[in-house]
Amino acid sequence: MAEQRVIDGRDLVPPEPLELTLEALDSMGPGDELLLLVFCDPVPLYNILDRNGYRHSSRWLEDGTNEVRITKA
Amino acid sequence: MQPVLSFEQAPPISVPYRFFLTAPLFGVVAGLILAWYGPAALISRWTSGSLAMTHLLVVDFMLQVMCGSLLQFVAVVAGANIWRPRLVAAVVHPLITIGAVLLALAFVMELPLLFLLAAALFVIALGFFLAVMAFALLRTPAHGMTIHVLRLAVVGLLVTLVLGVAMAYALGLQQIGFPLLIFADVHAAWGLGGWALMLVIGVSYLVVPMFQLTPPYPVWVTRILPAGLLVVLGLRSLQLLAANEEMPAWQSGVAILGMLLVGLYAVTTLWLQTRRRRRLTDVTFAYWRVAMLALLGFAISWVIFEVFPELGIHPRAPLWLGVLALSGMFLSVIIGMLYKIMPFLNWLHLQRLCDPKTPPPNMKQMIPEKAMRGQMWMHFISIALLLAAVLWTPLATLAGLVFAASCLWLEWNLIGAVRIYMGFRDRILASAACRES
Repeated sequence: MAEQRVIDGRDLVPPEPLELTLEALDSMGPGDELLLLVFCDPVPLYNILDRNGYRHSSRWLEDGTNEVRITKA
Repeated sequence: MQPVLSFEQAPPISVPYRFFLTAPLFGVVAGLILAWYGPAALISRWTSGSLAMTHLLVVDFMLQVMCGSLLQFVAVVAGANIWRPRLVAAVVHPLITIGAVLLALAFVMELPLLFLLAAALFVIALGFFLAVMAFALLRTPAHGMTIHVLRLAVVGLLVTLVLGVAMAYALGLQQIGFPLLIFADVHAAWGLGGWALMLVIGVSYLVVPMFQLTPPYPVWVTRILPAGLLVVLGLRSLQLLAANEEMPAWQSGVAILGMLLVGLYAVTTLWLQTRRRRRLTDVTFAYWRVAMLALLGFAISWVIFEVFPELGIHPRAPLWLGVLALSGMFLSVIIGMLYKIMPFLNWLHLQRLCDPKTPPPNMKQMIPEKAMRGQMWMHFISIALLLAAVLWTPLATLAGLVFAASCLWLEWNLIGAVRIYMGFRDRILASAACRES
């Protein structure tokens, strides 16, 4: 069954959100989703995801939160 | 709009690290010079010891770290291609190191030839550095106030260099009648205000919200600070056109305007810190707080010296301001940022060597928290002792020794970070080699 894991990086200092995300990628199964919440556009993370075969999409909320959804390609 | 970070452009780790590891050593030397000269160094800002110490701190400490940081920061924040960063570092780093040593020796030994040699080295090193930086900053498609202010800071460094070289040649050629006092005043204003403070301001627009989880700087503040500083520096520079060395009375108003801007920046940063999202404080936060308090103290002190000239003309008044500016403000910001930058760069470069299944070590493992806090408190104590020594000069030797020890501890902590990086790097590469074989 597909799982969703949430990492709230909004009160974490860079690159801790990136560190936690990369650690979480290791345990992702097919169909699982990782939801990262940050107040910025994590372009360095996107580059890493693109290079390693992960899909990602982002949606900006009204409070400035960027919801980044990551799945295995 | 905030610039977008681009780690793809980050130069090799050796490029900034050679600057970062050299800088604290000259802080040690500056402290030992103060300890050696003792109270005699603090008679006025014009003593050999005082001039040597000042230039060791502003060139071989501050300028070293700022050049190394800019090579990194401009690449990552502006996404700019720095032209041959290894070559730039290989030329700039040794030449400014040797140049600053020669300059300090020139002040101490009063040998005119050394001023000329130092000036020549600075022209080559900083001319090269400025050309590479200007090219990178002008060509980048990135925009925003940080990029804009970095461009102004580069101009500030150029003006500082030109004025400094002019003075060095005048001293080297022993030119009689050269308006040395005016040039020194304008050179210091551009060096500390147009280059160093401008650079800190531009960088802080990005790193204070990012690393201290504060709201962004108000837009009107981000605009008024660099523009206002430029106006003040321009007006201050009009002294160079004066026929004699007497400062006109309206320059006092210019100075107070400058201090209002400096105070605005300090107060705004302190206010942002009170509004941070995360209550926990780390060493970088504490260093920035002390730096802004020192900067506020500097601005208030300067205004007091303008309003009460009987205090301002005391020969040690500039030393009071110098301690607040250099040790209190700039060194505090620099050290606070080094404790963030080096673990981050370690992590970034190790992360590139790792595959996603074996993430790099946690950033917090790079420099022990206890070591950073210990060195931090020693630095704060050294600031207090230096200020006390300005008021009561018999404390000069103790202040110098504590300051030197604080810089030595900083060097030890930074070397520790490099050793951890190299250890992990070697392990990662060995593990990769095993998998392939």
